[in-house]
Amino acid sequence: MNRKTAAPPTERWIRRMADAEDGCASIAVGGLAYDLGMLTPGNHENAPWVFARLLTLARRRREMTIDALAKEADVDVAELLALENGDVTPTPRTVYQLAQVLGVSTSKLLAVAGLADVEDESLKEATLRFAARSEPTTKLSKPERDALEEFVKVLVEKSDGG
Amino acid sequence: MSSSPVVVIRRADNAVVQAELIDGVQPRDLGLIERVWTPVRAQILAKLRAASVAPVDWPQSLRWDWSRKEGELKLLEAGGFGVICDGDWQGVMLTKSASHVALLASQRSKPLVYVDYVETAPWNWPIAAIGEQGRYRGVGSVLIREAMNESIRQGFKGRIGLHALPQAERFYDSVCGLTEIGRDPNKQNLLYFECSPEAAEKFLDEGGES
Repeated sequence: MNRKTAAPPTERWIRRMADAEDGCASIAVGGLAYDLGMLTPGNHENAPWVFARLLTLARRRREMTIDALAKEADVDVAELLALENGDVTPTPRTVYQLAQVLGVSTSKLLAVAGLADVEDESLKEATLRFAARSEPTTKLSKPERDALEEFVKVLVEKSDGG
Repeated sequence: MSSSPVVVIRRADNAVVQAELIDGVQPRDLGLIERVWTPVRAQILAKLRAASVAPVDWPQSLRWDWSRKEGELKLLEAGGFGVICDGDWQGVMLTKSASHVALLASQRSKPLVYVDYVETAPWNWPIAAIGEQGRYRGVGSVLIREAMNESIRQGFKGRIGLHALPQAERFYDSVCGLTEIGRDPNKQNLLYFECSPEAAEKFLDEGGES
């Protein structure tokens, strides 16, 4: 193929592309940003929100009320409500209790909650993916269910027994 | 710098408007452009906070401020393009030629244009949660089109490669038709994409998804 450079875009082309771009959150490319240390480091700023979404989706997946989860995990209802709203950072004890009920690794859940550094690259990646894919809607949609199940799988696998 | 005509869409009236495609943007110019973009980012950040939008939903390039990196940008060897409309920089791209080779199986080890940076002006970001609609549309597509043109000019047949931010993965995958190569552990697990000559031809002729 010995193609020449394309002529300036036509009106049809730019309209089609502008419509398609509208369906995307961003077009940003991050190679240089990484090289110069501009990518958002870690997940601590996002932690309360990611933890809140995980908790809400996992509870709803089990068709549990906040009351029921609070009782099973032996956690205060008001604290659970605040956690699901992303208002507070959980205490280590609460994370431990919830990890038991949700059947996931305590150390990984501590990292997701922002209480420990995330050194596991696969967990970092899974957390970002989950955060990008989940929405705090009232009904658990199939994409949300898929996002949750994929995230929980990472939280469970390579369990540290904690 | 040289300039050639392009078009973008003005969102307010959905009109196709004339813009300038600038060839010859230098990495150091990013710092100057950022002095205009940074205050707009700060306003967006304030609105997001006021509306209690979760940080995971903020634009992932919101905190970029290249004016703080002027020293490092001066040392960077890269080519650059930008789109000017209404007297302002609406989007900027930096590329490197012959520094990267293709990983795509059908193009393996062939040279490509590596897109190091693409960003649109923050006033062009549509952010529904705070009622921002964005002023001009299609700027990113015009820039990626030019990356493919640059690749053709270099004799690389339209091959390009880039690391997309997570929020931009859909654009490069579904809209531009690039091939997902995989997450790059050397770039904070950003997803790396490449464009084949065939995909470039399709994009340049037809554009992305309808």
